[in-house]
Amino acid sequence: MSTPFLSVKNLSKTYPNGVQALRGVSFDVNPGEFLVVIGLSGSGKSTLMRCLNRLQDPTAGEIFFEGHDIGKLKSGEEIRALRRKMGMIFQHFNLIPRQSVLKNVLMGKLGQKKTAASIFGLFTDTEKSEALSNLKLVGIADKASLRADSLSGGQKQRVAIARALTQKPALLLADEPVASLDPATCHVVMDYLKKVNQELGITVIANLHFLSLVRKYATRVIALKDGEIVFTGKPEEITQEWFQKIYGEGTQDVAPDVL
Amino acid sequence: MLRRTFFDAFCFAFLLCAGVVAVFVSAEEQLLNLIQDLVVVLVALAVGAGISLLFKKFKIRTLGSVLFDLPTSEQGHPWYRSFWGWQLIVLLVVSFAVALAKTEFSFVELLDQNGFAGAVRLFKGLFNPNWEVLPRAVLNIIETIFMAFLATSIAIPFAFVLSFFCAKNIMRGTVGYMVYLILRTILNVTRSIEALIWAIIFSVWVGIGPFAGMLALMIHSVASLAKQYSEMVESVEEGPIEAIESTGANKLQTIWYAIVPQVVLPYISFTVYRWDINVRMATVIGLVGGGGIGTMLIQYQGQAMWREVGCIIVVIAVVVWALDLASAHIREALK
Ligand SMILES: Nc1ncnc2c1ncn2[C@@H]1O[C@H](COP(=O)(O)OP(=O)(O)OP(=O)(O)O)[C@@H](O)[C@H]1O
Ligand SMILES: [Mg+2]
Repeated sequence: MSTPFLSVKNLSKTYPNGVQALRGVSFDVNPGEFLVVIGLSGSGKSTLMRCLNRLQDPTAGEIFFEGHDIGKLKSGEEIRALRRKMGMIFQHFNLIPRQSVLKNVLMGKLGQKKTAASIFGLFTDTEKSEALSNLKLVGIADKASLRADSLSGGQKQRVAIARALTQKPALLLADEPVASLDPATCHVVMDYLKKVNQELGITVIANLHFLSLVRKYATRVIALKDGEIVFTGKPEEITQEWFQKIYGEGTQDVAPDVL
Repeated sequence: MLRRTFFDAFCFAFLLCAGVVAVFVSAEEQLLNLIQDLVVVLVALAVGAGISLLFKKFKIRTLGSVLFDLPTSEQGHPWYRSFWGWQLIVLLVVSFAVALAKTEFSFVELLDQNGFAGAVRLFKGLFNPNWEVLPRAVLNIIETIFMAFLATSIAIPFAFVLSFFCAKNIMRGTVGYMVYLILRTILNVTRSIEALIWAIIFSVWVGIGPFAGMLALMIHSVASLAKQYSEMVESVEEGPIEAIESTGANKLQTIWYAIVPQVVLPYISFTVYRWDINVRMATVIGLVGGGGIGTMLIQYQGQAMWREVGCIIVVIAVVVWALDLASAHIREALK
């Protein structure tokens, strides 16, 4: 087998306040995968994502991405270059309020722009049409000139996906992308993530909470518990038993299976 | 614990000192010996601290412990049956008494015949303004308004840049925190010096006139605005910042795209309000030679020309009222 796309080895993260969020996590990601991370609240899912794009600094272990140990990058320049290759999507969308949808999407280009040009808002026509075509991809090109805060939750998350796509990332990190959406909207957004994964061939790592979503979208699943990996496998291998082991006794999947 | 002891020690020391002064001091000259005063105050503080610790030992809740200690679970008495309630009352009563003595409060003078007649003369003048000085007054208040406007406008860019260096959530790391602390301290000191004092300093430096007044207002505005701005920056939402950072943007781009859009409206609102304040301050600053309407006011006041003063006061009142209204409306609209 060829070298994996992303390889995490013995990754640990201890926060300054002493919380051990990750304890020796190891896993590989192959190109084109839709990897889903599940686990209880506080199990370290967000911390894992934030270590991958270096919003947090890992305490120990290695993260190999494109042949480099990106966990050891020191200079701001190198870290920014890494972040450009990884788009990130958040639970609360994190759009910039009071700015147009298009402007928000264009912000995906900031990492590649010279500071002066970006401060004066000088985005080229090519960049604008690229942003627009990404908006088209997630089906909301008609909203381009509206203010970002006037959109609904689902629409906002689609704008966030378009923003991430504008980075032309190799990897998309989605931290609970649908946790603040209603069940119907949830599937719409997940379908776009799947489309991005399959049509553009972008590898996706997503944190999800519902088993039904995991079964429908994941190509592979890892489960975290107290900062350690307790399960790796295909989504259909997660039985009710495993689920209870991961989420604790007495839990039931409250996912909207009807949809 | 420390705060509580200090607070109580201060309270008891104050009562002790007030008592000592009331009993032993008959003329103010006796208080001019600094060393002797200091000794008395320190002794009083020490005694106060002792009393405070004693109360602590007997588990009596003092005002300090009510303020600074964790709330106790015990069901409290009504306040008037508790020690701290009486401590508060005694403190207030004594403070009031000291204040009356210090301000030489006197009904006799308030109701004095001659003085009263003078006041009546003054009010007659004020309510019967001499409109002949109106054109001059209008010209002068325009000078004041623009003095305030210039001071505010020049202050904006300085305060804008400073505000990011004075925000804790931006100045991370050791070096950043040092810069933050130093700038904060400088600004706090600058702000705690009243614009009036700055006006006196600058009137010596650049000469009496509107320029000195403008400089004074500007310095004060930079410090005040930078503080208010930086508080806005500190209360900004983290999410958008992370989102912009995760696109690979650098610090400047992150500030410009994630923070600035969140703070512009409050910034504008603060700035309009600052201008409003500056117009009022500019009037006062004029009294010490900062130019504008205040200088005109003090000239007529010096000659006891109350009818002219009346006209000037009307002009000031109208302008301040109008600005107040306008700035309130603008700020409301910006919400
Ligand atoms: N910035 C931080 N500083 C200190 N501790 C943190 C920080 N961020 C997270 N933690 C702690 O690390 C642990 C893992 O948190 P993390 O956010 O990674 O969990 P999660 O699996 O994403 O949970 P959730 O489903 O609630 O988002 C938690 O105990 C949390 O309190
Ligand atoms: Mg999380």
